[in-house]
Amino acid sequence: MLQEESDLALIIAQIVQKLKGSNLYAQLERQAWGSWEKRILKSLNSMCTELSIPLARKRPVGEQKELLNKWNEMGTDEPDLSLFRPVYAPKDFLEVLINLRNPNYENGDSHSFRTHLGLIQVPLKVKDIPELKEFFVELGLTAGQLGIDDSTQVPPELFENEHVRIGQKVLSEQDSAAAQQYIRQGSPTALRAELWALILNISSQPEDILYYEQLKTNVIQHDLLVDSLIYKDVKLTASNDDYYFVFEDYLYQVLLCFSRDTSVLGHFAYNSASPPKSYIRGKLGLEEYAVFYPPNGVIPFHGFSMYVAPLCFLYHEPSKLYQIFREMYVRFFFRLHSISSHPSGIVSLCLLFETLLQTYLPQLFYHLREIGAQPLRISFKWMVRAFSGYLATDQLLLLWDRILGYNSLEILAVLAAAVFAFRAVNLMEVTSLAAAEAVLADLSTLKVMPLLQIFLFATVT
Amino acid sequence: MAGKVKWVTDIEKSVLINNFEKRGWVQVTENEDWNFYWMSVQTIRNVFSVETGYRLSDDQIVNHFPNHYELTRKDLMVKNIKRYRKELEKEGSPLAEKDESGKYLYLDFVPVTYMLPADYNLFVEEFRKSPSSTWIMKPCGKAQGKGIFLINKLSQIKKWSRDSKTSSFMTQSTKEAYVISLYINNPLLIGGRKFDLRLYVLVSTYRPLRCYMYKLGFCRFCTVKYTPSTSELDNMFVHLTNVAIQKHGEDYNHIHGGKWTVHNLRLYLESTRGKEVTSRLFDEIHWIIVQSLKAVAVNASPSLTSSTANDRILKYNLINDTLNIAVPNGEIPDCKWNKSPPKEVLGNYEILYDEELAQGDGADRELRSRPGQSLGPRGGRSRDSGRTVLTTWK
Repeated sequence: MLQEESDLALIIAQIVQKLKGSNLYAQLERQAWGSWEKRILKSLNSMCTELSIPLARKRPVGEQKELLNKWNEMGTDEPDLSLFRPVYAPKDFLEVLINLRNPNYENGDSHSFRTHLGLIQVPLKVKDIPELKEFFVELGLTAGQLGIDDSTQVPPELFENEHVRIGQKVLSEQDSAAAQQYIRQGSPTALRAELWALILNISSQPEDILYYEQLKTNVIQHDLLVDSLIYKDVKLTASNDDYYFVFEDYLYQVLLCFSRDTSVLGHFAYNSASPPKSYIRGKLGLEEYAVFYPPNGVIPFHGFSMYVAPLCFLYHEPSKLYQIFREMYVRFFFRLHSISSHPSGIVSLCLLFETLLQTYLPQLFYHLREIGAQPLRISFKWMVRAFSGYLATDQLLLLWDRILGYNSLEILAVLAAAVFAFRAVNLMEVTSLAAAEAVLADLSTLKVMPLLQIFLFATVT
Repeated sequence: MAGKVKWVTDIEKSVLINNFEKRGWVQVTENEDWNFYWMSVQTIRNVFSVETGYRLSDDQIVNHFPNHYELTRKDLMVKNIKRYRKELEKEGSPLAEKDESGKYLYLDFVPVTYMLPADYNLFVEEFRKSPSSTWIMKPCGKAQGKGIFLINKLSQIKKWSRDSKTSSFMTQSTKEAYVISLYINNPLLIGGRKFDLRLYVLVSTYRPLRCYMYKLGFCRFCTVKYTPSTSELDNMFVHLTNVAIQKHGEDYNHIHGGKWTVHNLRLYLESTRGKEVTSRLFDEIHWIIVQSLKAVAVNASPSLTSSTANDRILKYNLINDTLNIAVPNGEIPDCKWNKSPPKEVLGNYEILYDEELAQGDGADRELRSRPGQSLGPRGGRSRDSGRTVLTTWK
């Protein structure tokens, strides 16, 4: 009887704690997001005013025709984008996160948190290495992996052939849950496109293709200010990338449609952020005249197009590419640039990264801190972009396999920490932030799976 | 300084010179005793021309076979391949097998081609069979895309007609030699663009044939979307992929130079088209290279000019690996060498074909019956080791 009572008491205490916590966090999130949202909208509006360009306008018929003709090669268009600037870059967003503070420091949880020396000051719960080992058990040393056990030195009979066979079986049975489990050990290149579609529940039905065509029509008929921001972003990032420059035109076709897709607003229901609102001219503050701007509620930031670029290696049919990207966005990517306490949210990822480093590589962590090179300042951009544009494409796809397999973005933080661990020797010798950045500037030769395995399963903790 | 390789070159390129110097080799002039001479095409021509009668001594190596132009000049290459095919046919070799319509099953890798002005009439006959086809004119002796143009009307090549009135003022020899080939107007496109492949192959000995392919080849993309539309036949940015041409296009991007590694290409093709098709494609590419080499000799001058920083690094490493294979261990060359170099020195090269290895072990060598089912380049891992198929490499 006593045991039951104390169990119950414990449970109640935990629930109360949770509610307290979530209330606080919810408040926190709303506050932080609210002021951030105001800032970016302000930036957007002032750009509007400065350049005397409306947020949206209907295109004259002649212009519509022209755009339709050029639909497959919008990359050759060279509008004057010099006056546009990205609304914000990852580092601006990092500053906001750094300034998040938990108003309630009396909370017992934050005891150990006081020794946290990283930039993030919000005491969210993150996993430690033992918990990560359990969570990522399929990445362990005794299981086969694509990205390790398919290298040329390893005979394919040992793992690869059987793994491919199982993949084909999963596909033929169209078993989405099995696919998700299967892909934790990586996807064979030839099966990846189908496996991702299966896991994301994308099947190109006629109504999906029609929906995409309608979005395209919308693009043809109306010009949005964000379109210029999208152009600018693609030109600055994907067009200069060794792998993705070829797909420049696909990126416009996806992103321009994406910004007009109001179904994306649906994700805000589980996102603690809210879509930025704008008001019809002259009706500022009047809710009946509020519209979401852009229509999908997502303001692109510098590097946004890199979420789409790797997908072009898998899908070349525009409406399929579009659907896959949209689903990836509303399931995963949105968490990388909104403020929430979700374990896959960027705040948690930052904290996870810093905690892993401080706990398991303390010497390195303190050294970098001493020289003014807080590790998060370097790794933040990798995580916000889910490493797109930093890793070689084949490695990136192996990483994203695991994001889908584990339905979590935590692997991004683990990889970031693993990269620091890998380059620790060089990093210990640098004496400035710039030098540290230089050591970590080029990740294109890294093999992600061995790095992750060594960090999680082979490092003495 | 005894025992150090003595080198000469008439090409002032850092990717070469840095590689020689880092090995501690000694630079000499061409009049002195040299072991290794990296020659420009001009020099090769002079050195090995019939008049000079120059012979290399046993401890000398150069970077081109004397008959390299047999593959570089387009007309000679075509002639050689046609002759090679006929020879195989005469010998009754299974490689020369044809299908019901008379097309070669394994050796059909050159589109219909004629020499101009020599084969002008033959060409006209063929042209008239499919008058809406497009043909590509290439000058025999030029490179880097110079002088190439497309035609779809006979009037566009009147100059080369043997009977043309204009030719009465010119002798045959002043008409520049061209080859004209059927233009393939449905090329594989990526991102809507045409691309070609730049692959590096090293031939270390010719008899027995030993050749290596550099694993880090690359694709060169056009900056403009491809269209087979006839109104764009004049637009060289659509049809020609040579960097020398593309460099002057408005959209040319100096950071990446419109290139992908062959590795990227493979990833893209496997992801979008599947593994079997992609493996077969690469096998067939390797097959074409080896057959062309057998038909003839070796190529002349790859561009040693680097267009981007990455490019410079690639070429430096390429030369480095090349020298490691050609002059193993930095030893003074000896023409009596005939050993295959050990695997460790290959660097980023992999064995494309080694005649000795192919013939040496006889029955238990990997065999194949048609290009599509081969086991890929040797030296790399065989990915289809489950199947044994018949090889008839000569």
